[in-house]
Amino acid sequence: MTTITIPGLHRGRLTSPGRVVAWGVLILMLGVTLMPLWMVLKTALMHPSELFTQSTQILPSDPTLLNFKRVLGLLSTEESLAVGGSGAEINFARALGNSVLFTTIIVVLQIGFAAMAAYAFARLRFPGRKLLFALFVGSMMVPSVVTFIPNFILIKDLGWLNTMAGMVAPFCLMQGFSVFFLRQFFLSIPRDLEEAAVLDGASHLYIFARVVLPLSITPIVTIAMLTGINMWNEFFWPYLVAKDGALQVLPVALQTFKSQTPQGQPDWTGLMAATAITVLPTLMLLVAFGRRVVESVQFSGGK
Amino acid sequence: MNSTASSLAPPRQATIPQRKPHGLSATRRAETLTAWGLVLPALIGFLVFYAWPTLRAVEISFTDWNLLREPKFIGLDNYTHMLEDGRFWQGMKLSACYVLLNIPVQMVLGLFLAVAMDRLSRSLFVKSVVLLPYLLSNVLVAMMWLWMLDPILGWANSVITGLGFDRQPFFGGVDQALATVAAVNIWRHMGLVAMLFLAGMQNIPRYLYEAAALEGASEWQMFWRITLPLLRPVMVFVLVTSVTGSFQIFDTIAVTTNGGPLDSTRVIVHYIVQNAFSFYKMGYASAMSMTLCLVMLAYTVVQMRILRASEHDLA
Amino acid sequence: MSINTTPLFAVLGTLALAAGAAHATEVKYMLWDSNQLPAYQQCATDFQKKNAGITIKIMQSGWGDYWTAISTGFVSGTAPDVFTDHLAKYPEFAKNKQIVDLTPFIQRDKLDPGAYATGLFDIWGRDGKQYGLPKDWDTIGFIVNMEQAKKAGVTLAELQSMTWNPKDGGSFEQIVRKLTLDAAGNNATSPKFDKKNVAVYGYQTPGSGGMMGQTEWSHFAVSNGFKFQDKPWDPQFHYDDPKLAETMTYLAGLPGKGVSASFENTKSLGSDAMFVGKKVAIVPQGSWMITYFKDSAKFEHAWVPLPTGPTGTRATMFNGLADSIWVGSKVKEEAWKWVKYLGSADCQGVVASYGVVFPAIKGMAEKAIEAQQKKGVDSSAFLTMAKSKTFLTPIADSASEINEVMTGAMESVLIGKADAASALKAANTKANQLVKN
Repeated sequence: MTTITIPGLHRGRLTSPGRVVAWGVLILMLGVTLMPLWMVLKTALMHPSELFTQSTQILPSDPTLLNFKRVLGLLSTEESLAVGGSGAEINFARALGNSVLFTTIIVVLQIGFAAMAAYAFARLRFPGRKLLFALFVGSMMVPSVVTFIPNFILIKDLGWLNTMAGMVAPFCLMQGFSVFFLRQFFLSIPRDLEEAAVLDGASHLYIFARVVLPLSITPIVTIAMLTGINMWNEFFWPYLVAKDGALQVLPVALQTFKSQTPQGQPDWTGLMAATAITVLPTLMLLVAFGRRVVESVQFSGGK
Repeated sequence: MNSTASSLAPPRQATIPQRKPHGLSATRRAETLTAWGLVLPALIGFLVFYAWPTLRAVEISFTDWNLLREPKFIGLDNYTHMLEDGRFWQGMKLSACYVLLNIPVQMVLGLFLAVAMDRLSRSLFVKSVVLLPYLLSNVLVAMMWLWMLDPILGWANSVITGLGFDRQPFFGGVDQALATVAAVNIWRHMGLVAMLFLAGMQNIPRYLYEAAALEGASEWQMFWRITLPLLRPVMVFVLVTSVTGSFQIFDTIAVTTNGGPLDSTRVIVHYIVQNAFSFYKMGYASAMSMTLCLVMLAYTVVQMRILRASEHDLA
Repeated sequence: MSINTTPLFAVLGTLALAAGAAHATEVKYMLWDSNQLPAYQQCATDFQKKNAGITIKIMQSGWGDYWTAISTGFVSGTAPDVFTDHLAKYPEFAKNKQIVDLTPFIQRDKLDPGAYATGLFDIWGRDGKQYGLPKDWDTIGFIVNMEQAKKAGVTLAELQSMTWNPKDGGSFEQIVRKLTLDAAGNNATSPKFDKKNVAVYGYQTPGSGGMMGQTEWSHFAVSNGFKFQDKPWDPQFHYDDPKLAETMTYLAGLPGKGVSASFENTKSLGSDAMFVGKKVAIVPQGSWMITYFKDSAKFEHAWVPLPTGPTGTRATMFNGLADSIWVGSKVKEEAWKWVKYLGSADCQGVVASYGVVFPAIKGMAEKAIEAQQKKGVDSSAFLTMAKSKTFLTPIADSASEINEVMTGAMESVLIGKADAASALKAANTKANQLVKN
């Protein structure tokens, strides 16, 4: 069902003072959001030696692609060290590939299983439902500092250290955040369509797959995107499980730009360039999937 | 509050076909079986990677374990020590303060952005910009702000002193550090909160707004009487997850202030990690973690009760 | 018709075993400083040539996550065979029997502890057990913005012969004042100096320094007559010594004179960044930072020795890293060979030639200085410091917690929220309690 154009609802009120104020605030907030990101880009384009002498300026005086080259592993170790970078080797393409694989596996599996569980919690009645849901939500409240060691030992005992399986294991089956989110969404879908389907004799699985899921594309895409972003940036677990060699994901490969010595400075220009580069794939995906989130899924109501 | 919605609900079908003659128990059994089948993969994940490690953590909390030797059972000693430990209480207090600084602002700004993205402008550019901060990891965001807010070399202070004000220490200031950390966190997360709310708003039937507009309601009224109430399940979710996440803040602080200056940002998880990996007191760290967990659970139960998280106005 | 296959299997088995033994043994080695990575990779290449059958796998992990990774490795049985260790961390590892006592190996291979610079070998041991072979040493110096010094009329000779005392700051303070400039260009010796509008500071204390004050205050304090402990491992600290309180009071007073930025304002990016950004003329730093400043400070700068204190000598903390072997290593013999190589003149010569640190073996310091000179840096100041009064870092059990306590005390003094004498007295009592636990 397309949006009915009601006179005065969208078009005619453009100049109301409320709208002007709202636009003003919005633009201000967009500015506050963009300014630091611009500083990241600007710092990434600066030569390391000018870093601190020109730290307060808004434009780079002598833009250079040197830092991007360093992040992408295109400079040799000596060249890197000569500009103040670290001597560690970076295989960017491989790390990128690992990150893509890591993120995709987790998003597909985790969201799939979360949707299934969330539907069960939202719509089906079964003994233990409340308790189980409470436990799932509760899982978000255990600080990971105490759970990561038992998990690490488990992965090691399974022989999954330095494997993709070991890296994705804790994330790909369950994440309280995803289940909670989708369950709230399924709750908020008006039951009319489902009730109609029940009356038509549909099974629960059918309703789940053919009625509820199609209606939930927006929240599913949203949570998939958010989970994807979180997994793309996940550092500590992949670092523990697969910190060297062929399975490094991007955040692990790029940790060389953080501080390397007890009193040392991080490699700021390299860090900013690394930030700019790691954001790009997620940004592209966001734009690609953004259409989905932009389209308002109109609820068609019982007909 | 519900009047607008229910008075506009489309009429039900007049004819109701007969149900097939099943026994109630058979239907129920099928439902239960289906439910358990759907929940199973997530349940396995929960049991293996959350439940069991948590039980291990509880077990460890009753021991004196320094990570380097076998744990030694000491009963409730960790807990009694914790209750007397000033730094534990300070950590909890600071975390609570941080949550209070962080969440209300995040929610309000996030809501505003969501409404703006729903009613003011549908452009993809706005959505992308809004979500951009969240695309960066916590650590990168923290480092970026450390850079920008440096009192002597940072851009922010060059503007501030240019306008004639005093240099602000931000992360270095005993009175400002926690608020600065909160501000950085808000910057990163308000876009996320906005997207979550926006997804929730997409599920609100358009005809409600249209009908309200026909009745002459203003944007503000529509927000209060349609949007907000129908966002309740999403709101609960956002509140619970934001508060839970905020209570566990660590990365930003580790990067920018490391608990200082003068312990003004030594929030509870920072103290826990310090005990676990610097002081080698894993047993004590576990005891504090379990306590923190209980506090968050209690808060969540209360909140979900108050907001009636499992109900929904349209359903 | 059963063929007697046993001999066949025996032969095959032995062949398999032999083939297995011919496979290289891998020794996993971990370090944190990425600047030193190329040097150690070169050592590994050289070592592997001399020791066919052993491969060295070097893993580098930044300081922030290094110790969590090591501890997790201990717990889960996946720790590296050899790793760079630190004086603040090894006591705990040793107490909990996670690192190997190297004494039997040292005696068997007849290693001469006297080959290393004085004091380094001993501080890596306790009660007759040795837990690491020293790799390098470092001392502290001042780095000075010479561009600015020249403009202010301060000569290198003056900078190299400063004196200091906690009452009026000696010639050190005079020079610092000359180098402090306000927005109008007046320096801090002029009556027109506006301390609310400083453009370039003269000196900056890097931070609170915790229990060691390695670059922050230990040199001033010890040159004033302060002593951390009577001997290493002594469970009695002297942080309540009035000579330390004097020193801290002096340092805390510098922002008030306008020659330093306030402590709160330097906690974010810190004094090194300020120096490179030309916002401060002199900062104290350690010799491990030579390369960093060479690469980042693109203006004329020089390393000068620390000032002479009231006791008539210069003083510097003398610190050194060493490599330890994990108790759970399955290749201890090979690991020892690698540690021995790391502690040998061959490897340390290579490391010296990369010019990043000073090697622990006596007589090799000059090689490092030469290498650095080739890169355009005069690091002889550090050697001067090494020949003056050197003192070792305080070493004790429960170091992390003591460090916490001291950090808090020092911070409160430097921020100006507490007076030095009382804060340090209280902290010292707590420290002494902690070390006895």
